[in-house]
Amino acid sequence: MCSVWLICKRELASFFFSPVAYVVLAAWAFLMGIFFSGSFFNYALISMQLARNPQAAAQMNITPTSAVLEPVFASVSVVLLFLTPILTMRLFSEEKKLGTIELLLTYPLRDGHLLAGKFLSVLLLYLMMLALTLIYPVIVGLHATVEWGVVASAYLGVFLLGSAFLSVGVMASSWTSNQIIAATAAFMILLLSFILDFMAASVGADLAAVLRHLSIGLHLRNAIRGVIDTRDVIYLLNINILCLFLAMRSLEYYRWRA
Amino acid sequence: MIRVEGLTKFYGSVPAIEDISFRVERGEILGFLGPNGAGKSTTMRILTGFMPPTSGSAWVADMNVAERPLEVKRSIGYMPESNPLYLDMTVTAYLGYMVSLKGVAGAARRDAVARVVGSCGLESVASRLIGHLSKGYRQRVGLAQSLVSDPPVLILDEPTSGLDPAQIIEIRNLIRSLKGSRTIILSTHILPEVSLVCDRVVVIHQGRVAFEGALDSLATSVKEDDVLRVSAIGSAEALQGRLSAVPGVRQVRRTGASNGEVHFEVRAERGREVRPALAAAVPAASGQLTELRRERLTLEDLFVRIVSGERKHEGEAAHV
Ligand SMILES: Nc1ncnc2c1ncn2[C@@H]1O[C@H](COP(=O)(O)OP(=O)(O)OP(=O)(O)O)[C@@H](O)[C@H]1O
Ligand SMILES: [Mg+2]
Repeated sequence: MCSVWLICKRELASFFFSPVAYVVLAAWAFLMGIFFSGSFFNYALISMQLARNPQAAAQMNITPTSAVLEPVFASVSVVLLFLTPILTMRLFSEEKKLGTIELLLTYPLRDGHLLAGKFLSVLLLYLMMLALTLIYPVIVGLHATVEWGVVASAYLGVFLLGSAFLSVGVMASSWTSNQIIAATAAFMILLLSFILDFMAASVGADLAAVLRHLSIGLHLRNAIRGVIDTRDVIYLLNINILCLFLAMRSLEYYRWRA
Repeated sequence: MIRVEGLTKFYGSVPAIEDISFRVERGEILGFLGPNGAGKSTTMRILTGFMPPTSGSAWVADMNVAERPLEVKRSIGYMPESNPLYLDMTVTAYLGYMVSLKGVAGAARRDAVARVVGSCGLESVASRLIGHLSKGYRQRVGLAQSLVSDPPVLILDEPTSGLDPAQIIEIRNLIRSLKGSRTIILSTHILPEVSLVCDRVVVIHQGRVAFEGALDSLATSVKEDDVLRVSAIGSAEALQGRLSAVPGVRQVRRTGASNGEVHFEVRAERGREVRPALAAAVPAASGQLTELRRERLTLEDLFVRIVSGERKHEGEAAHV
């Protein structure tokens, strides 16, 4: 267990040593800031209009949480689509390129611990990124009443979604010694899972239901409305388990091929 | 301490090593020789538990590598051929990280790092980034990495490759200073290094063991005539006749002449002392001896003989 933490710490140190970390963090803060301020001003505009028309306001049932925070959380999946492959691309690819994987695999470590340490490091980074965004609900809370239960549910959903994305990235990184290929592969897989949703529109009802279920992004919808559906949670956790399992197999395969 | 039995490894359908067996006793330094692509690194990677063999087994520190991989890995220090390092860490951070992955923590960890930084001559670069070090210093960091957990078994894949002569000597002395306390397998292409450092050698060629034993017996294992050089002033025909008549001489060949001096290459039965008789044969042909010496087979010659001898056998086998 101790070795998991050692590996995780090294990954974090190495991540912050490279400029990539700062670029990703800056992009994240910038994009989330844009989305938030956009929907914040949008809401201000709508509520001013609705103030003049109380009847319509009563019908539409707009709250600060649903009008400001929901769109922000909904856009998270798109931002993550681009950023998580960059977070995960170096985890195994760099070790393979440098050859240090050969050294690590001759150390008294279990493959599972190695994998867990690496995954934990990007998970912690992601938690840090999420923590940065807590400022938005707080800002809204200063001016209006925030439904904190909905916010908590949304954060849980976003966390699970991000962890599924990261596990896809870890898996892709375990396949290749080329970081660009690792990032591209992860991006393509994630993108495909987004497109499944669109493809569902043009196929029969049965297949459409399956495609919708497989589409990663859709599993965030309930959570950001304050509904935690166990099917969503199980789906996202299953993605984690599947990808990490496949990454483990790929490490094993690497030993055989070397 | 280390035992290898019938190791075979296929990469795809191509065999890298076939049926390799040898042993290394406790405290011994074994030189692992062979031409490029012979399968040295492959064998070492199997010993370290990095990859499994296709068939055969290996025991390190008297434990089966396949059955108890974690214990074996704890007792091994390994320096891969490519000497991989994390370029974004400082020397002390790297060594500290690697030793803690072997389960050494706290004050013991600090002591272990300080010890190898001292013994590998890394004091002056201890706080520098590995990515900023020269090749020689990186090589030392790699060696320090293999030593830092104080393992009883060391597996070093070409530890002196790419170093300047002074550094080679330093690293060699360092390895020699470990003698006795550790069992070491060392692969190298620098043959004099073997005679300076190793107790025994294993030569592998095309994936098979071509020779195993002490260095002295390497010389006797070469089944080939001794070669002597004789130069004398006198009649070439008379000299050649007399020299050929010496007991033990198999063949006399004229290799040249200059200023009335004639040069011969004499092949004699291996290990038989023919020099006094050759020296006596020259005046008997009314010549004057100017030079008589035995060609010494260098380690390189022996190595090439062993390797090309194998090839010859294979060629014969192919004809049949
Ligand atoms: N990953 C691999 N995939 C396929 N073939 C490989 C692989 N690694 C090594 N080989 C092949 O296996 C054989 C043995 O290689 P190995 O690296 O063990 O040789 P070596 O004795 O260490 O050579 P050198 O002195 O050049 O380091 C070579 O023919 C090589 O081409
Ligand atoms: Mg090699």
